[in-house]
Amino acid sequence: MKSTPYNLIMSALYNGKKGSRPPAASVTSIVCHDLMDASGVSFPEAHVNSEAMAELALAGHEIIGFDTVMPEYSVHQEAAALGCDVDWGSRDQMPDSRNAPYADFSDVIIPENILEKPSMRVVLDAISKLRRHVGGRVAIIGKVMGPWTLSYHMAGTQNLLLQVGLGEKDKVVKMLRQLMPVTIAFAKAQFQAGADIVVLADHATGNLVGSYHYKDYLLAIHQEITSQIEGPLILHVCGNCLDRIELFADAGFDGYNFEWQVDSKVAVAKVGHRICLVGNVNNAQTLLQGTPDDVRKQVRYAVEAGVNIIAPECAIPLTTPIENLKALVAAVHEGY
Amino acid sequence: MTETLEQIKQAVISGKHKEIETLVQTAVDEKVDLSSIINTALIDGMDVVGQQFASGEIFVPEMLIAALTMQKGLAVIKPLLKGKDSKSKGTVLIGTVKGDLHDIGKNLVSMMLEGAGFQVVDLGVNLGVEQLVDKVTEIKPDILGLSTLLTTTMPEMQKVISVMRQRGLRSSVKIMVGGAPVDAHFAEKIGADGYAKDAAGAVQLARKLVSGN
Repeated sequence: MKSTPYNLIMSALYNGKKGSRPPAASVTSIVCHDLMDASGVSFPEAHVNSEAMAELALAGHEIIGFDTVMPEYSVHQEAAALGCDVDWGSRDQMPDSRNAPYADFSDVIIPENILEKPSMRVVLDAISKLRRHVGGRVAIIGKVMGPWTLSYHMAGTQNLLLQVGLGEKDKVVKMLRQLMPVTIAFAKAQFQAGADIVVLADHATGNLVGSYHYKDYLLAIHQEITSQIEGPLILHVCGNCLDRIELFADAGFDGYNFEWQVDSKVAVAKVGHRICLVGNVNNAQTLLQGTPDDVRKQVRYAVEAGVNIIAPECAIPLTTPIENLKALVAAVHEGY
Repeated sequence: MTETLEQIKQAVISGKHKEIETLVQTAVDEKVDLSSIINTALIDGMDVVGQQFASGEIFVPEMLIAALTMQKGLAVIKPLLKGKDSKSKGTVLIGTVKGDLHDIGKNLVSMMLEGAGFQVVDLGVNLGVEQLVDKVTEIKPDILGLSTLLTTTMPEMQKVISVMRQRGLRSSVKIMVGGAPVDAHFAEKIGADGYAKDAAGAVQLARKLVSGN
């Protein structure tokens, strides 16, 4: 097998031929101030302009050396299209919603032309541009929010969790099912635009909810989503999710992006034979505050444990030094 | 403990928010000492909930309902305490630092602290350094609690502490920090007085900080 970035990623996703080294991926966001400065493209422009979005994604491959390009950095593209008043932030601040338009759990109105809303169109256009630049050579990764995360945006996070606590299952599931088609439509459109893989972020986070919540509310919905989307999907859920990692495999995802707080060896032993593991370099202590050598040690630990694709555990802090990201890439270039 | 007190405690633990007011009123009618209702039933119940959360038995949805139950119980007692000696355990000024709009963790800590007898002034989210320091000057709390969920906003905590030092306010208030990316090492590095990993831990830390031990 030719060890091109694309081949390495796709083969690792399906636990196939290993090639000359493990691949390094950006599956959430690897944008930091240093990368903005080096590429001349900055936030918030890269959230709202497809050219800037694609250029910044390309910089992750060309300047740092990741084997992927990932052009979506915020978690609010769908929220904006669904009626949230999104503050697109600044160079120093990630986007956030100013309101929760369906806090009363009334029926969510999904615009018929939702894929043409500016916040959705920009991502599809950026993916198409990347396809023309690096298609077939570098793996192009798209990103969609799952219905749980979208429900946080629609109803408010604390409000949604409160309803779960109150046992209002019908109310919560109704909202999840109303939002599920948005996730499916956006993922399919990203594949059509040229994505090789789509990351589905759904924050049924370890610190917020339990595995029993995931099983009761989300597992069946995730199974429906994975059965309706033919392209490969990597699930991203933050926090310590060791208690539900097998359920993620049951849900039919091809890969799972996991955090440093889950030991790679334990994760590989539990589900390594069923799902591609993507991760799990620590953000706060290692990429942000550690040295390049600290990063190298974590990467090598993960590689030796059998993690298929090396990546940060989540979207990195904006003040992460670029040297530490380059150290992540250098460590995978040491080979298996 | 009387049977009613035990029932109140269990109602908090299992989040029976619809029954709590009746149970607390029953205890009041039975002439149970008000401080026992608060300390032995409501606060002890919440302590159990905090331990269950820390050990991963329950999660935020159940914590929110337990906190709601405790608040409803306290609301029955509060009017009866007016004019009586109901000394606060201390004042805590709490908020999420600038650049961060997340507030569930901070809200849970606020609720737990209130339940534990502290007077809590919750300033909300996205709070600038000047805003926080000015409020410390105005309110003179015993403790300042700073929260963040994002790694991007961790440095804001350090800025707050630096400005308080510059203004000579640092020694007048204890500072505790928390949030997903924060740990004890970071707390020590930026010069905070303590770190807690969850809401129950924050209550224990606050008790320790005001007692001076």
